[in-house]
Amino acid sequence: MLGMWKTNAPDEFVSVKFDMEMREGSSPSDGASSTPNSSGRRRNSAEAKEGLGFIMCKRLVQMMQGNIWISLNPLASAQSMTLVLRFQNRPSYGRATFAPGSSSEQPSSNPQFRGLRVILADDDALNRAVTKKLLEKLGCEVTAVSSGFECLSALNSAENSVRLVVLDIQMPEMDGFEVATRIRKVRSRSWPLIIAVTASAEDNVWERCLQMGMNGMIRKPVLLQGMADELQRVLQRAGEGL
Amino acid sequence: MERTRLRRQVALTRQSLFDQGFLDEQFIQLEDLQDDANPNFVEEVVTLYYRDSARLITNIEKALEKNSLDFNKLDGFMHQFKGSSSSIGAKKVKAECTLFREYCRAGNGEGLPHLSVQGLNGFAWIHTSCRCTRTFQQIKKEYATLKRKLEAYFQVVRQAGPAETACWPK
Repeated sequence: MLGMWKTNAPDEFVSVKFDMEMREGSSPSDGASSTPNSSGRRRNSAEAKEGLGFIMCKRLVQMMQGNIWISLNPLASAQSMTLVLRFQNRPSYGRATFAPGSSSEQPSSNPQFRGLRVILADDDALNRAVTKKLLEKLGCEVTAVSSGFECLSALNSAENSVRLVVLDIQMPEMDGFEVATRIRKVRSRSWPLIIAVTASAEDNVWERCLQMGMNGMIRKPVLLQGMADELQRVLQRAGEGL
Repeated sequence: MERTRLRRQVALTRQSLFDQGFLDEQFIQLEDLQDDANPNFVEEVVTLYYRDSARLITNIEKALEKNSLDFNKLDGFMHQFKGSSSSIGAKKVKAECTLFREYCRAGNGEGLPHLSVQGLNGFAWIHTSCRCTRTFQQIKKEYATLKRKLEAYFQVVRQAGPAETACWPK
């Protein structure tokens, strides 16, 4: 790939164009062929260059609202291939620029998160303060509690207005797994959604989370972008009815 | 003029904390969370850290004074302490905590093979305990140093006053 352009039109979509130069003597593996006898039928010279693989690619790219074509040089052999892809603009989570003591502009939060009611359960006061602030930064409305018991009773009194529970797994007395099990006994798998927070680096933690009826997992240390990504993923899956 | 000088001092002090390895990116995450609604968030969190972890330090000290060390218990305390230290970006403290936990695991027969329980005779047992104790002294030292440095840093921050933000004229 030798060149890339992006349109600056401030619309819903962004187009990215790739220009690939094809040098003398080399040919793309499944693309245009330069042998003149690839097809017996008379076609225009551009089509004669397109092998089956290329046609399939072209179809797929066009289905994705992009385009791909081959430019020929004066000798009618393939010179360059151009691919245009179109992407939908998504809201970004800009990180505030840091300067000592600066009060930063609010990072743009995903509208999906705005007003999202969350219960946060973590026995560690420090982690609770930081994660709560982080969720509020993303636009959520957070109730922070310090134990599994408090979490369950907060959920009961809130009835159905809480969309998401963010749960530290390693809590004394009642750990996150037990809380999730108890929640799922009386509530559906997607309301409220449950995201586990764990310090563990073990692979099977995620499986266990799933078994207990959780919808997502995030590893400590909890980062703004990490939480935003996992929240988005979990909400999206819930929206798709999974 | 004075303000500019103070601001520059804040920036330099802050940078040196990173350059000298006292703080890591997690501290920046905290700074990112600070805003007009919570203009002193970072200082508040750090204060919370020192208040909360004082209790953990006392627990670990007590546990280390016992004749036979309960490595499981020690590891549990240290797991918590490491987690908190990690949350504020306390890089050196965190590193010493990791070392401590490795010695705990060795004391339990897991982890470092050259300190495994199979080979442990009385001497090796004492050796591991000594290492835990010594590492803990190191942790306390780094912990206290960081506290001093951060206190000095926040003092300058307060002196420099709130930063002006560019905003459209109302």
